[in-house]
Amino acid sequence: MRTVYIAVVVLGVAAILADHLSSPSTGRALSPEDFAGACAPCGAPCPSKK
Amino acid sequence: MTTATLAAPDQGAAVRIDRLFLGLALASASILIAVVLLDHQPASAALIVGGFGLGVAFLKAEFSYTASWRRFLTRGEAGGLLGGLIVIAICACVVVPVAALSPKYGGAIAPLGPSLIIGAFVFAVGMQLANGCGSGTLYTVGGGSGRMLVALLFFVIGSVLGSLSLPAFLTLGGIDPVLASDYLGAWGGLALTLGSIATAGACVIAVARKRGANFMPSRRYIIGGVIIGLLCVAVFAAGGHPWSVTFAFTVWGARAATALGFDLSHAAFWQWPGPKRALAESVLSDTSSLTDLGMLFGAMAAAAASKPFATGPWPPLKSLAAAAIGGLLMGWGARLGFGCNIGAFVGGVASGSLHGWLWFLAALPGCVVGIRLRPLFGLSRE
Repeated sequence: MRTVYIAVVVLGVAAILADHLSSPSTGRALSPEDFAGACAPCGAPCPSKK
Repeated sequence: MTTATLAAPDQGAAVRIDRLFLGLALASASILIAVVLLDHQPASAALIVGGFGLGVAFLKAEFSYTASWRRFLTRGEAGGLLGGLIVIAICACVVVPVAALSPKYGGAIAPLGPSLIIGAFVFAVGMQLANGCGSGTLYTVGGGSGRMLVALLFFVIGSVLGSLSLPAFLTLGGIDPVLASDYLGAWGGLALTLGSIATAGACVIAVARKRGANFMPSRRYIIGGVIIGLLCVAVFAAGGHPWSVTFAFTVWGARAATALGFDLSHAAFWQWPGPKRALAESVLSDTSSLTDLGMLFGAMAAAAASKPFATGPWPPLKSLAAAAIGGLLMGWGARLGFGCNIGAFVGGVASGSLHGWLWFLAALPGCVVGIRLRPLFGLSRE
């Protein structure tokens, strides 16, 4: 199990770094709730806006 | 050798440090903090540190929403649930007024409708099968549980499936979020929120007394609840919204699916502005990913600092199947129910949003079903 954990952590951190370096980043970290019209933590719209 | 033994003079017991995993956890967290600081994002670093603290606190306090619900339903014991309410009350004291008074901050809100009820119910079934909710899965994975590693993998898969299902379920109808501060103002909303938490606490104590069960939280749970509550406030201060867990799983799964060649960008969920941005930008631009990663490494550091890490055998296949099914149900349910115990229940109630209590009421029967299913997988009902 330790070997699995080492692999998961090392590959996971490497994947995060690769993703970060290859993806755009427009500034501070955001939650989907930060966007206009979001009505839930996942950014779903309000029923009244449909 | 990867472990060292230190004397613990106050207890006379030996504390064994797993240097390899302690180093791995600290190095991983440090790398992520350094990366976001290089991007001039101190708030992101604060979210990782806050998550790290939550991982340590959850692991050390053995704080478990899943077990608390189960002990309450099977034995009537209310201590765990009261510990959870301590977290919510502390968080509410800051979230309700600040979210109402400052445009830079917002509470956890969600529409009320069939999607919320179905999602909370399904999530709760999965939570009892997997033996951990969103936060529980994170800190037990960080703590070295291979079983929960399987649960997390399927949680991520279920969460992506949930993202594809949610828009259809929203068409079943619903009403806009109901927020106490919208009707009573910042302080009136806080008073109502704290009143609702006190009422819930009185109800669970009454049930415990009627069943002759213990209702006092343990000292460890009280201290853990206070620390976790304060860390929730810190995460709110850094991120602008109450702590949430499961959206990160959806993002991780969607990005992995994209890397494998699946195109999710045309799905309705991934065209909403928030998810669209999360799918396109770095995972370190998503607040819930930052706290989740911090929590994983915090729990790993705390576990490795006290004993050899992940030395247990893999559990039986039936137990792994329960973890997988439970994870899948939790992931799907969390998307339909707008979060887990943390994002929907803790965050919702602490924001004075009615959906938090509705989530709780819908999750209770789901827990009953999940508890009844546990013996099929060789798991105890208690």
